[in-house]
Amino acid sequence: MNVGAILLLTLSGLVLVAMLILRGKKGPSPCVRPLPAFQDLRAQAGYAAESGGAIHIALGSGGLHGEDAVTSLAGLQVVEALADAAVSYSAPPIITVGDPTLLPLAQDILRRAYERRGLAELYDPGRVRFVAPSPVAYAAGAAYVATTENVTANMMAGAFGAEVSLITDAGARRDLSQLAAAAAPRAIGALYPAISRLAVGEELYAAGAQMTGERRYLVSLVAQDILRVILVLIILGAAGLAFLSNWQGW
Amino acid sequence: MSSLVKRWIPVLLFGTLPGLVVLAGYLIPTSQTLTYFRDCLVEWAVIVAGFAFFLGMFNVLRIHGGRVAHLRKGWLCSLVLLLAALAAWVPSVLPASTTIQKTLDHVTFDYVISPLGASLAALLVFTLALAAFRLLRARGSARGVFFLLVVAVTLLGSTPLANLEWLADIRDWVVNVPGMAGMRGLLLGVALGTVITALRVFVASERPHSEL
Repeated sequence: MNVGAILLLTLSGLVLVAMLILRGKKGPSPCVRPLPAFQDLRAQAGYAAESGGAIHIALGSGGLHGEDAVTSLAGLQVVEALADAAVSYSAPPIITVGDPTLLPLAQDILRRAYERRGLAELYDPGRVRFVAPSPVAYAAGAAYVATTENVTANMMAGAFGAEVSLITDAGARRDLSQLAAAAAPRAIGALYPAISRLAVGEELYAAGAQMTGERRYLVSLVAQDILRVILVLIILGAAGLAFLSNWQGW
Repeated sequence: MSSLVKRWIPVLLFGTLPGLVVLAGYLIPTSQTLTYFRDCLVEWAVIVAGFAFFLGMFNVLRIHGGRVAHLRKGWLCSLVLLLAALAAWVPSVLPASTTIQKTLDHVTFDYVISPLGASLAALLVFTLALAAFRLLRARGSARGVFFLLVVAVTLLGSTPLANLEWLADIRDWVVNVPGMAGMRGLLLGVALGTVITALRVFVASERPHSEL
């Protein structure tokens, strides 16, 4: 039995549920520090509309099964947060996925955005594209989309590895505005030199809160912060105890 | 009542409950009942994911077929892609375990897919090097210079060049002390973000599939 994992999940669940009950509907909204990677995205949607282009959103090669499932869901939050604004501006994004399980979800998010605006007949499922199931082939295909389509900005949010540099390189060659959010250290290492507006690690999971300002997202970020403080205190306590036990020869 | 039936019952039955069973099956592997249900649910998920590949294939045919049919920009590349996809299908429709099927499989994977994948992966070196130069040009700040210095020390410290052994010690320190500390902090944050997002799906606060 994995006691450590059960304890962490129980603690996280308790903190999240408590936050949802206590601050889910009442009280002032929690504040979130601004993240340039997500702040500029709506402005980019406006710019895309003015120039008759579109934003390219690369969701990476993760899917809904496997270890990248939650990272991919965080990437979908970016699509969800941007879809309404992009549809309002008549500049729907081009979304590329590297795992077909993300395809129906991304298409559904875009379709619902059109329906909310009463423009269901304008919805084009071809705006969401499955490129390739292998990470490097996906990156090459997504780079091709960024190069050949009328794209004005390149957004990468989801599960990537070092191959993401193929997409950023294509964007840099066209002098596109580039934004990215990634959790994997290899992807962060590849993105850091190429992109100035980069959300790193846990910041990827703040996309929904940052872009929509919805309470459920903001509250879960607060729960995340509380858990981090608890974990840091536990680590410091354990380190202190280990130091003392070595020092006193216990 | 209708809201309860329409909104919560499907979420609880098809989302939260199976999720909890699978999670419990992994956390308590000693329970045979839980592991049985866990394996069943995971098997169903794999079947659904298999159908998603059909969706992906039709999406590729729709996008690239449309481009070829209307001779839109890039139609030649799309045509090559469709022909390559068709050629990759040939071995799988031939009678299984025949010599020709095995040879075609071998040729496709060993002489086409693997070398192409390796070539694309090799390109990463150049794209990363270009990104590093762009970093210096666009953001010639102290942080940029420091980043490149660390990259150079780490790479050179990994090479077996003579008279550069002292760099290997610096590289080991950079990787094992500040590098590892940063990595652990990053992974801790990612793990917390992952747990909280997954729990939001469990308690139906996050519903990427529906806005009900």
